Amino acid sequence: MQIGDNQEVLLELDRVSHFFDQRLVFRDVSLKLYRGSVLLLAGPNGAGKTTLVNIMSGLIKPVHGRVITGVPREKTAFLGHYTFIYPGLSALGNLRFWAGMYSLEISDHELAKILTTVGLKGFVHESAGTFSRGMAQRLSLARVLMLRPELMFLDEPATGMDYGSRRMLRDQILEARQNGAGIVWVSHSLEEDLDQADMVMYLENKKMAFLGRPADFRMLPAEAG
Amino acid sequence: MKCRPLALAAKDLRLVFADGAGIIQPVLLGLILVFVFSLSTPVGEEVPAQAAAAIFWLATSFAVILVFNTLYSLEGANQARIGLLLSPMPVQYIWMGKALSGLVLLLTAQIFFLPAIIVFLGQDLMVSWPGALGTILLIDWGLVAVGSLLGAMSQGHSARDSLLSVVVFPLLVPLLLAGISMGSFFLGEGTGGEPGSWLGLVLAFNALFTGAALVLFPFIYGEY
Repeated sequence: MQIGDNQEVLLELDRVSHFFDQRLVFRDVSLKLYRGSVLLLAGPNGAGKTTLVNIMSGLIKPVHGRVITGVPREKTAFLGHYTFIYPGLSALGNLRFWAGMYSLEISDHELAKILTTVGLKGFVHESAGTFSRGMAQRLSLARVLMLRPELMFLDEPATGMDYGSRRMLRDQILEARQNGAGIVWVSHSLEEDLDQADMVMYLENKKMAFLGRPADFRMLPAEAG
Repeated sequence: MKCRPLALAAKDLRLVFADGAGIIQPVLLGLILVFVFSLSTPVGEEVPAQAAAAIFWLATSFAVILVFNTLYSLEGANQARIGLLLSPMPVQYIWMGKALSGLVLLLTAQIFFLPAIIVFLGQDLMVSWPGALGTILLIDWGLVAVGSLLGAMSQGHSARDSLLSVVVFPLLVPLLLAGISMGSFFLGEGTGGEPGSWLGLVLAFNALFTGAALVLFPFIYGEY
């Protein structure tokens, strides 16, 4: 898709810099995330991708710069390394709880349908404590889909997922984009995920080394990205 | 719209009662405490009411530590805490939810402590039950207000159990003194004066720590 100036900006970072104590993580990161677009966030280990996503999602306040968003927290969702799942609750119980935290009026029937969408049809009443890592991540994805978010933060969401699950995850992300969601996607599988992105941002050497279209990113010499 | 602190408390209680350990531990520790103290009394002699009340509140204080360590550790599984912080609700709702579930668990533990005090320490409840229960509820509220705040503070520390107890006990002294004095009155001794004279202290403590918790909790638990 084409990103244009007439599109609605869901999230804007204005010269964001962050430190952990005295250590600089990155400096002067500026970007805009548009409605119905996917921003792929990439970079080597320790580049600060997760920190940047945490700043974007509001978990961390940046030391310098501003994060501007008009999307309410009710319409923001996060899917990361951690699944936020209570092992003592069933899959349905977990979704019911998070629906309550977001004040969503949603029936068990609808929740069961969402669980079916992520391939957990036969596990609705199973204790989440018995789930494999991939199943737990699917349940976490169900939580995200349940929120019908306008803004999604995905921090290596495919962690622990098998090939089929990764495909299902990608399909759901693309469907959310079609429905108008803005998506920030941290990925370690650049080759696999680059095709889904509308924009790529590459963090390296404590700064934004690249921000642009996937096609332009592919043109870069290998040592630059 | 469902009340989110209540939903949080309901989830905690479901998890704790389903697992069992989170409530069995404080109950067993408290009962052991009462039993061990009962052995210190020569056969045929009664434990003074004030001492019995002190043992009751000591058992309750230990239960506060265990209960809130359990409640906050529930959010450590799969970092659900981050999910709560990202939820569209004031961070104080988490404190309220934990305080409510803590209150229910504490009352559950006390349901076992009270008969144990009567049986093992030879006590009689001389004054009306509603007065005694009202006093317990009032003091319990102060305990859970502090416990929920400091339980959050102790999360993430490797020696969190010891840290929590070190911080909690000095803070609880005024409340425990009131509880012991009012408790001895309800157990028929009344050496600590009329319960009404301690009531003001308890209400002031509860108001102070409830207010302090609402202000401080976002700084303690809201930081990622």
